Amino acid sequence: MDFDDSPDEAEYRARVRAALEQHADELLRLAPGQEAVDARTHEAEMRRTQRVLHDAGLVGVTWPREYGGQGGTLLQQAIVGQELARFRVPALINHIGMGMCGPTVIAHGSADQRDRYLARLLRADDVWCQLFSEPASGSDLAALRTTAVRDGEDWVVNGQKVWTTLAHVSDYGILLTRTDPEKPKHAGLTMFVVDMHAPGVTVRPLRQMGGQSDFNEVFFDDVRIPDSERLGEPGEGWRVALTTLMNERVTIGGAGTAIGAPVEEFAEHAKARLPQLDPERQVLARQAVGRAVVAALGARYTGYRRLTVLSQGGIPGPEASAGKLAGTEAAHLMADAGVRLLGDDAVYAATADGEDRWQRTQSWLPGISIAGGTDQVLRNILGERVLGLPPEPRLDKTAPFSGGQR
Amino acid sequence: MNFDLDDDQRDIAAGARDFFRGNASPAAARAGLEGGALEPGRKALADMGFLGITVPEQAGGSGRPLLDLAVVAEQGGAVLAAPSLVTAARAAVLLAGEPELAARLADGSTAFAVLDGPVERSAPSVDAADATLFLGLDGGALVVGEGEIVPGRPLDATRGLASVRLTSRRVLVEDAAELWARARQVGAVVMAAEDLGGADRCVQVGVAYAQEREAFGRRIGSYQAVKHMLVDAWVGVEQLRSLVWWAAWAADNNPAELPLAASAAKACAAATFERAASTLIQVHGGIGFTWEHDAHLFWRRAKVDRLLLGDEAEHLDAVARLAVSGALGA
Repeated sequence: MDFDDSPDEAEYRARVRAALEQHADELLRLAPGQEAVDARTHEAEMRRTQRVLHDAGLVGVTWPREYGGQGGTLLQQAIVGQELARFRVPALINHIGMGMCGPTVIAHGSADQRDRYLARLLRADDVWCQLFSEPASGSDLAALRTTAVRDGEDWVVNGQKVWTTLAHVSDYGILLTRTDPEKPKHAGLTMFVVDMHAPGVTVRPLRQMGGQSDFNEVFFDDVRIPDSERLGEPGEGWRVALTTLMNERVTIGGAGTAIGAPVEEFAEHAKARLPQLDPERQVLARQAVGRAVVAALGARYTGYRRLTVLSQGGIPGPEASAGKLAGTEAAHLMADAGVRLLGDDAVYAATADGEDRWQRTQSWLPGISIAGGTDQVLRNILGERVLGLPPEPRLDKTAPFSGGQR
Repeated sequence: MNFDLDDDQRDIAAGARDFFRGNASPAAARAGLEGGALEPGRKALADMGFLGITVPEQAGGSGRPLLDLAVVAEQGGAVLAAPSLVTAARAAVLLAGEPELAARLADGSTAFAVLDGPVERSAPSVDAADATLFLGLDGGALVVGEGEIVPGRPLDATRGLASVRLTSRRVLVEDAAELWARARQVGAVVMAAEDLGGADRCVQVGVAYAQEREAFGRRIGSYQAVKHMLVDAWVGVEQLRSLVWWAAWAADNNPAELPLAASAAKACAAATFERAASTLIQVHGGIGFTWEHDAHLFWRRAKVDRLLLGDEAEHLDAVARLAVSGALGA
């Protein structure tokens, strides 16, 4: 047992660090205390950053070389993730494209689609989004209602998607539609690649509870998609979507990087703020700080166990869902303690000197408990796939979808 | 990155699992509440070599790292074995300069206990009820001596808790504060490992029942209210396992990290085992509340362990103090 890189891993990490240093001037980097950048205002710099990283060999680490990737290992991908975080490079603009859309095109796209899309995706020449959730189908994704109807060589799409991250800067999306309402809900779905600039596609930003606008609603009014843009067979959309969702779990449940602030930064904050509280409050605050640190360390070292699986050539299974659950819990505890440590300023959206990091984190975390599998959906996955508990009966699983609509 | 047990440690764990399953059980823990003997008992643990895992080879032990002892302790915790390997681990640290006494610890010929609190009247201390020789901290010095034992009515008989008044004392180490603190941290890691085994067992038994028991026409594990309770307990167990491994590894490989890691593991163990044991009872409903069912024996262990060697609040405070003073590193 050790926490060190193997010689190969150490050499790879050194190469990654050298590449980052070499291109430092061309990369968009986070300011101290900043956790994300707004793609709305920084789109050009974010695209440039990904292109520079791509040309340095740090993007698409695990993708096959024939599609512009590096043909590397999941562990190398994890090392790049750690080093990008350490170098304070924000999430890449095409993180959804790389994490979810691209792998789906690789698994289910035609040779022509792979040639046209994948290399451009990795260079952020095109940005991608994932058009799955709808107003009436979130966790229950297979209940979606956006329709695609065959018309000659095209399909005609009508409906609405929602919570679509990055749709406002996207060039393409993968779109899950209902093509046969007479089939049971999982059986009547079909996946497409949609051109986000096509006539009839309307993107409207949604404003989140914290005030930011990271995601959108997307409307489809008689949008024509050529049949050649279909991913998988008609009616196979659910199976195609599962490819995407499995990759999402690996992306978010990821190994070795924290959700939200790293525990070291939380400890620095506590060090600065604890002495400013009156002594009785300090006793209570240390309990909250200790609890958050224990949760963060528990999540971190459990992540190291998953990283070890990767290091030995394994593939993360459904237990990766526990990583997101535990990481989210730790992030909640740190944000809550982080805000409380502000004393009187904790009731404001920022401190008197304008510092709002912990308040921003506090208002951002409720979304993390929902996105990419709600805490409750993850518990179902863990209960059924890891612990082997029986699934809940699903009464609408076999009935025709059209009959299920009331 | 290689944060996993190696083949040796997996073999040790498998051997320990077989031994403990054959020689200890919650049934023995239940009998212990009514005066029955503790299982497997000190002699059997010594014969297996478990009491001497961390005792140096020159003193008759195996001279193995704490992690080896932790994986054995986990298996003992799963069946509520007694006496505790906490005593063996802690005494082995304290007796590092006393090969003759360490040999008597490793071969089980002397029943040691380590006393918490003042040696004039100790706090309830693990395995003190049946011990004949005691180690204590007396004004900064490590002392060994015989004592008068004052047991209380046991909540969990397997812990052998009693207060002790030393009736004789001999100084082993003059200035022992640091050694004492390290021994207590090592003890906390091993107790967290025993709690890990207990908590893991609670989840397994709870899951098995939820897979079989039916209510309202279906198996209760299909209801999210039951499923999510078990999942939360399981997630806690996996976090605890990571912290126990890390802390046990740190004891031998990065001692500067041990205080933080030991407190993190012990605080996590207190909450995790308690939740797992409570969940086990709740999932079983009425049957889980009976004397005959094993659930309350795990619950008793959890209720007692959470307060021994520092309660959750003490260890959370320690984690916070260490974290803000830079113990997390850069």
